[in-house]
Order: sequence, then C-alpha cells, then structure tokens
Amino acid sequence: MSEFLPDFRLVRPQSLDQAITALQSEPGARLCAGGTDIIVNMRRGLVEVETLVDLSGIADLKTLDLDGNALRIGAGVTLRELAQHPGLIGPYQAIAQAAGLVAGPGHRQVATLGGNLCLDTRCLYYNQSHWWRKANDFCLKYHGDICHVAPKGNRCRAAFSGDMAPALMVLDASVEIIGPDGARRVPLAKLYREDGTDFLMLKPGEILTAVHVPVQRGKSTYDKIRVRGAVDFPLAGVAVAWRQDADGAHLFQLAVTGTNSMPINVDIPAPLGKDEDPDPYFATLEKLVQKAVSPQRTSTIAPHYRRLSVSALASRLARALI
Amino acid sequence: MNTKLRNGAAGQPLPLIDGIEKVTGRAVFTADLDGADCLTGRILRSPVSHGRIVRIDVSKARELDGVVAIVTGTDCALTYGVIPIAMNEYPMARDKVRYRGEPVAAVAAVDAATAERALELIELEIEELPASFTAAEARKVEAGQLHEGKPGNLEREVHHEFGNVADGFAKAALVHQESFDCAEINHAQLEPHAALAEYDPERHRLTMHTVSQVPFYVHLMLARCLEMESSQIRVVKPFVGGGFGARTETLNFEIIVALLARAAGGKVMMRLTREECFLTHRGRPNTKVTMKIGLDRAGRITAVECEAVMAGGAYAGYGLVTILYAGALLHGIYQLPSVKFDGYRVYTNTPPCGAMRGHGTVDVRHAFECILDRMAREMGLDPFEVRRANLLEAPMYTANGLMVNSYGLAECLDKVQTASDWHDRRGRLASGQESRQGSRRGLGMACSHYVSGAAKPVHWTGEPHAVVSMKLDFDGSVTVLTGASDIGQGSSTIVAIAAAEILSIDIGRVRVVTNDSVITPKDNGSYSSRVTFMVGNAAIEAAKALREKLVNAAAIKLEVAVEDIECEGESFFVKGANAASQSVLSFQDVAIAALALEGTITVKGTFTTPVKAQGGKHRGGAVGSTMGFSYAAQVVEVEVDVDTGQVRVEKVWAALDCGFAINPLAVEGQIEGSVWMGMGQGLSEETHYVDGLPAHASFLDYRFPTIAESPDIDVQIVESIDPLGPFGAKEAGEGALSGFPPALVNAVADAVGLDANFLPLTPDRVQAALIKLRKAARRKEAAS
Repeated sequence: MSEFLPDFRLVRPQSLDQAITALQSEPGARLCAGGTDIIVNMRRGLVEVETLVDLSGIADLKTLDLDGNALRIGAGVTLRELAQHPGLIGPYQAIAQAAGLVAGPGHRQVATLGGNLCLDTRCLYYNQSHWWRKANDFCLKYHGDICHVAPKGNRCRAAFSGDMAPALMVLDASVEIIGPDGARRVPLAKLYREDGTDFLMLKPGEILTAVHVPVQRGKSTYDKIRVRGAVDFPLAGVAVAWRQDADGAHLFQLAVTGTNSMPINVDIPAPLGKDEDPDPYFATLEKLVQKAVSPQRTSTIAPHYRRLSVSALASRLARALI
Repeated sequence: MNTKLRNGAAGQPLPLIDGIEKVTGRAVFTADLDGADCLTGRILRSPVSHGRIVRIDVSKARELDGVVAIVTGTDCALTYGVIPIAMNEYPMARDKVRYRGEPVAAVAAVDAATAERALELIELEIEELPASFTAAEARKVEAGQLHEGKPGNLEREVHHEFGNVADGFAKAALVHQESFDCAEINHAQLEPHAALAEYDPERHRLTMHTVSQVPFYVHLMLARCLEMESSQIRVVKPFVGGGFGARTETLNFEIIVALLARAAGGKVMMRLTREECFLTHRGRPNTKVTMKIGLDRAGRITAVECEAVMAGGAYAGYGLVTILYAGALLHGIYQLPSVKFDGYRVYTNTPPCGAMRGHGTVDVRHAFECILDRMAREMGLDPFEVRRANLLEAPMYTANGLMVNSYGLAECLDKVQTASDWHDRRGRLASGQESRQGSRRGLGMACSHYVSGAAKPVHWTGEPHAVVSMKLDFDGSVTVLTGASDIGQGSSTIVAIAAAEILSIDIGRVRVVTNDSVITPKDNGSYSSRVTFMVGNAAIEAAKALREKLVNAAAIKLEVAVEDIECEGESFFVKGANAASQSVLSFQDVAIAALALEGTITVKGTFTTPVKAQGGKHRGGAVGSTMGFSYAAQVVEVEVDVDTGQVRVEKVWAALDCGFAINPLAVEGQIEGSVWMGMGQGLSEETHYVDGLPAHASFLDYRFPTIAESPDIDVQIVESIDPLGPFGAKEAGEGALSGFPPALVNAVADAVGLDANFLPLTPDRVQAALIKLRKAARRKEAAS
C-alpha cells in the first residue's frame, strides 16, 4: 500500500476571495490543486498540515485566453489541456511540449500549471520516507541541520524540477499573484530564488492565479533529459525560443530546469549572424549552458552527466529551430 | 509423457481462465481482504546497517491507547529460510542488525495512525559496527564480520571443473577474457506485499492469507517459527499480482504478522509500503563476472573459465542455490568440452538477495554472450554462425551431468535471423538514414535457456513433485484441485486445458480450485518454472484416471468392451459407429452412469522426476538439473544517442523453444514479459544504496521501463516436442529473459562501437563510456 496518509481537513472554496480568506483564517494551511505533488509528500511525512485549501472548484483559475496572440493561462488549467491545446503551436509550442512531457498521462489529467510552477524542489535525501530520513538524521530542507548534498554549504541544494517554468521563461512570461494585499504581477523568473528550502518568492496567503505571455514571434521548443521516456522528473530540461531580427540574424532565448534550486535563464550574448558559421556559435552556446547550470548530487545520476547532456540538448534544440 | 492430442483444447490460444476477474477488478488480492475487524500491523526497522542491539524498550509503546500487541526478536528464537541447511535469519533481529531496514519489532494496533505512533515510542539502542556494502569491501580482512564463522564474509564458495580447461585453452585459436559488472536488481512486482493472519486463541489455530508463490514454504516456516503443529495452520493464497521469485522464500513479514496475530489473539492485516517491499528484496545480486572463452578456428568453443562474485546481502536466503546455478547453467546450451567455475557468494550489509526470474543464470549468460560476440567479430565470423558452430545434439548429457532431451535452438536462430533481416541490415544501420539526429542504430543478438523445474526440490521429502486431485460430481462439473500458485503466469489455465484435453470436454466444464492448504493437495510451488512441466503432467495423469472411469461406465452402459469406446467432444460412442446411432452417450449420461457405480468420483495424478534428470553426482550437482530446457534466441535493434547516451530499443525479434505451446497466447505473453524484464535489467533497472539506505525504493526511483520504452516485440514459438513434457511442453516464462541484456550490449557495439562491460546501460554510464572511447581513439590517432 501507499504510505500512511495523515488526517487533514479539506476546504473547497468556490472563489478566489474565499480561498484567500481560508488561507488567512487557517494559519499553516496549504494550497492544493491536482494534488500530484503535495499528497505524495504528505504520505511521506514531508508536509504536516491540518488544512488543505483545494483550488479545483474555482472556475476563474481554469480559463485559457489566446487573444491577438497574447496568452493568459489560468493557474488551474491542467497540463493535459495545455499539451493538447490547438493554439499552443509555433512560438507557444514549448508550453505544450513541456506540459506533455510531465510525468505520466494520469498525472497530467489532474496536475495544473500553477502546481507545476510551484512544485516543491526535489532531492535524493528529501523525497524519502520518514524512516529513511530519520535514519539519515533528516536534512536542511526538513527537520534537520545539514545538507547531505553539500555538507559544507549553508543552503539546501534540492533541485527545482518543474517543466513548465523554463518553457514560459523563454517567452518572457509574467505571473499574476493575488494575496491579502491585493494583486501583483511579476516576471516569472522573479518568482524563484536559489534556495531549495525557500525557492518561491510568494508571501504568506498569496496565490499564483495566472500566467501572462506577451505577443510572440518565431518558434519555441522544450525537451528534457531523463532515464525513462515517461514518469521521471527532469534530470535537466531546456527550453529554447527563437526569432529572426530584421537583418535575418537568429536570436535565441534559453532557460533550464532541474539543475539548480530554481529554473534559470541562460544569457546568450549575441545573435547568430545570418551568414555566420553555426558550428562555433553552437559550440559557444554549449559552453555557456555548461557554465550557467549547477547540478548537484540531488539524484543518483551524476551531476557531470546532467551538465553535459543538457548543454548538448540545448544546442540540438536551438539548431533544429533555425 | 507425450499424449496424442484429442480434442484440440491444448495448443489453442486461450485467454487466462482468471483473466475476467483481473480485468474487471473483481479479483480479490490479499490487501483487498475484509479488514473490518482487523488490527493493523506495522514493522519497526533498523536505522543502521550493522550493529549490536543494546536495548529495545517497548514499554511506552505498550501504554499507548489502541496498541494491542508488540513483538520483538525475543518472541521468536528460531531462524527461517528457504534452504534447510542455510537458515540464518530471524524474522526480527535478535542480537544484531545487519542491514538498514531489517525488522526489529512490530506493533498491532487498532489503526495505522496508532501503530505509527507506537513505532515512534519504541526505544531502540544499537551499538554500531563497521558495515560493508559491496562484495569487494566485505571480503577485505579489516571488514566487519556479519556472521560468526564466516571469515571474509564468504557465505559460500563453489569450485567446479569439468573436462580439462588448460588443455582446452591450449587448443584454442583465440582466447578472450573480460569482466562485467551487473547491477543488483529487484522484481518490482506490481502488487505490494501483504498478509492477513488470524489466530484463534480458543482452538490455537492460525489461518494465514498471503501473497506467496510457495504457500507450502510459508506453512513450514510458520510451524517452525511459531512452534505450532502444522496441522493447526491453514495457508491460503488469494490472487497474486506478480512474483518473479520475490515470493518464493517465506518472507519475514509473513512470520511477523502471524506472531502479532497470536500475541493479539485475533486478526492482523499487514500491508507493506513499496519502500518496505524493496527492503524485503530477495532480488538478483550485484554480480561481477570474469570470463575467459577459447575458440578454435571454426569458432567451436574449446574451454570456458568463469569467476562470479555475488554481493548477496545480509543473510543466506537462496544464496547458495544462486551461486550454484550461475556455474551449472553455463552448461546445457552449447557444446562445452571443458568448463571451470569459481563462484563466491559474499555477505554485505544490504537487504538479502534471493531468487529472481532467470535465477542465477542471467549475469553469467550476459558475460558469455557478449564475449562470444566480440570473439566472432575478431575472427570475422557472423554472430549467428559462431552460435551454430556450438549447437548441441539432443538427447545428451552435459559435462556436468545435465540431461538435454529436446533442443530447438537451431530453429530459434533461423527464425530470428530471417525475421530481423539480419544479413541485409546488420552492420549497415550505423550509417543509415533511419536514425534520429545525433543517433546511430545497430543490431545485436544472443541466445539463452532455462530449466523447466528443478529436478530436486530444496525441501526433499521423497514425495512426488506434484499432486493434482480431480473431482467429478452429480452436476457433471469437473473440479481440479491444485496447490500450484497462479501468480499471473497462467498455471491454473494450463491445468484446466490439460483436464479438458484429456477428458475431451469443453473447458467451461472445468473449475480450478487452488492454494488452500485445507482443500488442495500440497504443491512445491511456483518457482524454477516447474508448474507447467510437473503440475501439467500430474493433471494429465489425474484426467486419464478419471477418463478411465468414464470409459468404463460407458462400456457397461453400451454393453461393449472398454477398448471399443471412443470419447470425443463430450460424447462417448462405440468405435466405428455412426454418430447418429443409438450408441452415442453424452458426457452427462456417462457421468451419471459412472457416479452410479461409486458416487462422487475423486482421482489424483502425480508427477515424479525421473532419476536420470536429477543431475551430476558432484556436490551441488542437483542444482541446474531439470527434465527439459527451454531455448531462446533474440535480435535487438537499438538507437544510441551519442551525445546524451540514451539507448532506445526500437524492435525485438524473439523465438523460444517451449517444447509445445499448450496455450500459445500465454506463451506469447510470457516471452514478451521475459524480453521486457530483460530489457529493464539491460536499460535502466538497478538498486542504489546510500550508506545502506535504498535510494531506489519507489516506482519513481526504481526505473523499470515504461510503455514509452517498450518496443514492438516479434514473437515466434518453436516446438521441439519434449519427450517428457506434458503434451511435449517445457517452460516458457524465463528462458527468453537472459538473452536480452547481451543482445542489447551487442547491438550497442554494432551501433557505436562501444563494448559495454556494465549493466544497466543507463545514459550516464553510456555517455561516460563513449567519451572514454572517443578519447582513446584520439590518442590512438595522435600516436599513429
């Protein structure tokens, strides 16, 4: 059987206002949408919670508007809907691809965009049973005072493992957040910080409600490195967006997940000139990716492998977009 | 025991007779049993890899409301185990713990939450000892010793030489030696472990429902460890969701839940988590194989030398059989004039290994088939030709005394070679257009074999190896009673087909009742692919006994001699008579006539292994002995991503000689399952311990292939008609497994020129090996 699921209270608000009220009135309450992450973590004793606020009854969170090519996706839209949406092609293709590569079909049926953006960071020493973690003296991320990945460091190295964030970051997405103090909008990249324990810049009581993507040109794509073609979290994932400027030069934007405690943008300094030899350009791009990422021993697969593979994948994806 | 087929029940593809329950969800598995009035059992497990137990204090836990019983190592002073001479494991640790996750105490409480709280209240003090996690570490002089009297942590060593190996190598035109490291794997059966034990304190009786492959062993071990009369124990096996060897041995939780039930004087349900299933383990051990093969100019094998070192985990378990199998099953597939085997089974501070599909043979077969391929390449021979140069001729005995009575390997080779278009495609795929960007394709092949039942059971009693009872009653139904465990492999269906075939009746008239020790005859269980061969033959014999009674009744009724009665398609008639004549009796008529003579009819059939099949006279010579071997050949097509190291299996062609396919549909399924499980071991499955803690103990982290990795498998069945097999059949569920990993590695060599000496071929390992290969090539280029 699955591990023991502790008792909890489930609140199912019908509106965002009710949800915010519920969060405020129940200190320590946590949000839940598809439940594919938090319920598993509760069973493993990683989340002690008395109240779960279930967002799945809020209709406002479930809309997707593709209007004049600008895109707004509600946080409650499922990954399956994103993977199968007929409008998410061309410049938006990376979104559908990333969604379609998350876990397995059963997960995508219920897992949401908001859930994937807020997915808890993952680590070999963290995503284990209570017995396992207790036998290993717990860890910095939960109930312990040492990071087993980098014992000399002072922060948690757990890896951010969501697939949606890089696909949206290369499209300059921003997120809509509603909280007790009202609504705010921040670039998606600013939602995260490089700390496995405290990786989300959400204030208490805040809810991520939607993602905005500005008008796009060109194309985008997403793929990831993993041992199996389904189920596995990304050992590393990479999204690439491409467009041409007026002179015909190729501009790339690139973001990576799975290698750090947050999804990271990789700076590509110059465009590839229209008639420039692509080989040295992409060799440089591979080096830039290798330098930018910082995979740690958060999985049984060696960090070195993840670094080399994600850079090779990045340049392969970028080349294929030209 | 080759019987002429009469009504065509045998040999027709038939969906499994218990399939409807499974696909509709009506099948009741152990964890589904009514738990309404059950206590919940939970196990406290050792947090350290190796240590002396100083103190276990359960007093606080006992005081917790809702806790009904607590047991510890002091409640059972008797060891258990599958091999009578090698039982060195207690259900719960007594003086020492030897791996992280070893049970030390258990609680029965009113619900899971209370049981969990109680576990937290148990005070456990352990004085840690040095631990070893690999065979190499454990064999060092300074390593902590797991068991007294076992210096160097050597559980068992085996040294066998058949023929003269030195002479063999002297005669060879080419000698090649390599070492392979094959990772430890687990069965990962879909159904997690569960058991329900009910103790009747008035009558002092125990009823046990459990997930076992061998309920008979559970029965024996419960009687032993609970010091009960075996007559007071009843063991029932409900539907089981996969075994693969994980449930051949009695498992610690089965004894623990029974101890809890007795202590509580009631009913205790224990459902293990997936992590606990991995800790219970009994999988295939990490095996380091060093092998040397000599070939003459024609590609004929002159000598084989093999050393296998297995990291067996903390207890003996099945270990000695595993290491013996590794040596014994070098034989029985090719002509081998001389073979030397040195095997070492080593204790390590990890969960105990055990039997797993292809028991003992997989990792040594892997080394063998990889080396043979590389030698063929060096000699300019086609991989198929080098195998053909070494085929056996049945009937024969191998150098180590194994009987080979039927042999369809040549036909298997022909079939997969043709189907895969080997001649035109091999060696030409690497530069072909079929590959994706940055990828190369290749083809590889390998052969394999497996026993159809161990000719000597480990619990030797002198009884027949299998007994099947059959009952015919007033309603005209035939009930077959067998203790053989259907664990998804289709054994109950085989028994039903055998009855229908021999009795010439519709299979719908047959019901199969299995695995309840108070109802069904004892069976040695589902292991070593013995059931079709042994239980199938016993079922045929029982059905023949019943047919004899029916024919006799028909003869009396029709007033003719017994010899004049024909029976076909549920009718009995006088030989040569017109079908429309008065002299045709229906099955129901004859059944009534037969019952009139003696009332309800019960018959039985048995199967006993012929002495000639029981193996060589040397120590350990019974291991590997069998009535018949299955044979398989397969071709694997791969695509290798040279940048990311990803290996993708594009297509598999597999052919298996199963003697005769009693149920071709089930045979096809078993071949696909074997190939797929071999693919898991080849591509991605492995355990991984972090200081003895399992980093693989979930279906997320233990990476068996998903449907996304599953290729098209072209299956062909070869029927060599074994002289002793039921209708000529042999085993079909294991033989095709061990060919996959070497065929995979050989295909990768064809694709990218990498000779991988490790399993599994995970992308990180392949990428690192490719980088090394490219560096070596650059160095070679610079030097020349």
